[in-house]
Amino acid sequence: MQGKILKNTQISPGHFLLSVKLSEAFQSPVPGQFVMVREKGRIDPLLGRPFSIYDIERGKGKVVVEILYKVVGKGTNFLSMLKKGDLLEVFGPYGRGFEISLQVAKVILICGGIGVAPIAFLSSQYKKLADIRNVELNCYYGAKNTEYLVGLEKLKKHCSCVFISTDDGSMGYNGFVTELFANDMSSYDLEGTKIYVCGHRPMLKRLSELLSGKHLSCQVLIEERMACGIGACMGCAVETNNTEKMGAYVRACKDGPVFNMQDIVWS
Amino acid sequence: MTRKQLTPSKPEMAVDIGGLIIKNPVMTASGTFGYGEEYAPYIDLNRLGAIIVKGISLEPRAGNPPPRIIETPCGMLNAIGLENPGVNAFINGKLPFLRQFDVVVIVNIFGETIDEFKKIAEILSDAKGINGLEINISCPNVRKGGMVFGCDPDMAFEVTKGVRRLTDLPLIVKLTPNVSDICLIAESVEEAGADALSLINTLTGMSVDIEQKIPHLKNITGGLSGPAIKPVALRMVWQVVKSVKIPVIGIGGIMTTRDALEFLIVGARAVQIGTANFINPRAAIDIIDGIEDYLTKHNCSDINKLIGTLSTEAGSYQEQCD
Repeated sequence: MQGKILKNTQISPGHFLLSVKLSEAFQSPVPGQFVMVREKGRIDPLLGRPFSIYDIERGKGKVVVEILYKVVGKGTNFLSMLKKGDLLEVFGPYGRGFEISLQVAKVILICGGIGVAPIAFLSSQYKKLADIRNVELNCYYGAKNTEYLVGLEKLKKHCSCVFISTDDGSMGYNGFVTELFANDMSSYDLEGTKIYVCGHRPMLKRLSELLSGKHLSCQVLIEERMACGIGACMGCAVETNNTEKMGAYVRACKDGPVFNMQDIVWS
Repeated sequence: MTRKQLTPSKPEMAVDIGGLIIKNPVMTASGTFGYGEEYAPYIDLNRLGAIIVKGISLEPRAGNPPPRIIETPCGMLNAIGLENPGVNAFINGKLPFLRQFDVVVIVNIFGETIDEFKKIAEILSDAKGINGLEINISCPNVRKGGMVFGCDPDMAFEVTKGVRRLTDLPLIVKLTPNVSDICLIAESVEEAGADALSLINTLTGMSVDIEQKIPHLKNITGGLSGPAIKPVALRMVWQVVKSVKIPVIGIGGIMTTRDALEFLIVGARAVQIGTANFINPRAAIDIIDGIEDYLTKHNCSDINKLIGTLSTEAGSYQEQCD
């Protein structure tokens, strides 16, 4: 459907917050779902780019979707140059979002870099969706430096506590978010919590090592290059080890982007 | 006194693609539309001229390790690796869904040997609900050192003949453009008994990550599709239309109604929409509507009057036929 840009603001070097007005026919997304976005009428870049939904607001006759994104290549670069009033084509919401557990009291959220976007949306929706008032959301959030902690305010608003790490030590723990979490791991009854993760592959791989052998619920949101976003082109293949049930590869767009951590081969 | 028509009648859109009549000339290309399920929530499948399902092999194939795709200027490269559930799982698991719709279903097939092509064709000819076969000869013949079937006129002839003998289903052969002279392949396949030809399949291409200094695709090379290939596809369709008598179906970079019309004007009997489906799930439907609009605006009552009306100094192709 057509979307009109309301805002496309740079919030830190290379990071933008995009606000798009859509028709009210746009279905309410589950946190973890994404949209395919492209500039209306452009054939280069050709393909839509997938973005997790960061926030959504429903009003009279309209819906406003927010996307938090980082410029990483041609598509995001072109997107960053669009202005208020420019038109987009927005498809979705697509994909399998996070599964919210009812009545679970403790939740751990772990995100790195721009992976904060779906996790922050999840944190803002969790209490409502889980139908529980006393859920404790503990968030571990890491980024390259302070400027890259772009979703911090939103996380602080909705989480019980936010533990921060930066690669350069400019804020919080000096090092990777995985190691910050590793230091705290023993203080949690991990098997009684739900863990939700989003970040780049090396981070996910490291977490799978830390959590291996433990019988727990950990959902990861995986990013993979996409063309169609709806499961037809088979381009976004992710290797699984659950070959009995899933075959050698699953599609990040349709079978995911949220997967159980133990179902994925982390290479 | 003549009775005035209050509602102008819609132009005739049906075309004959080699003994198989389809309700309009717009088909969805193999590998871009899955087995229909993914698009059913977004468009009315009944409106399509035909659906060509993703290529089926005898045994299931897992496909290539990722990364499988990379965007290139006005296009993309893919090295999916022909991932599919195999012919039996297709018949039992995928075909029933498609048969709920009033749409022509053509099954694209491929094999690593001529025997495999023949086996799949035999199994599918016995299955109910399949309206035609499209054979993908852009794959390597492992018995002939991996040489691509469609790159050699004799191999293309043999595989077409092998399948032809086993089936009465309308048989389309999909040609690869990665050859010196596509007309030679086209003529050979026509002689072997194909009912129609479809072209082009993807052009082989490559893309490199300059920071990591590795190919963007795990498979190194892949197939190029999208607007970038349209001029090549159009030229090849035009050439093949002049060298064979059987219908030619045009494929390659068709994004809009305009693009589809170019192919019809150079002589394609129908078109396939591929990569455009990734950009806009409604692409094929928009193009059907667009062609109908064009015919109405140009007072053309029948699509077949538009096909092959390209005018060159040699006179229009239609004139040459008369």
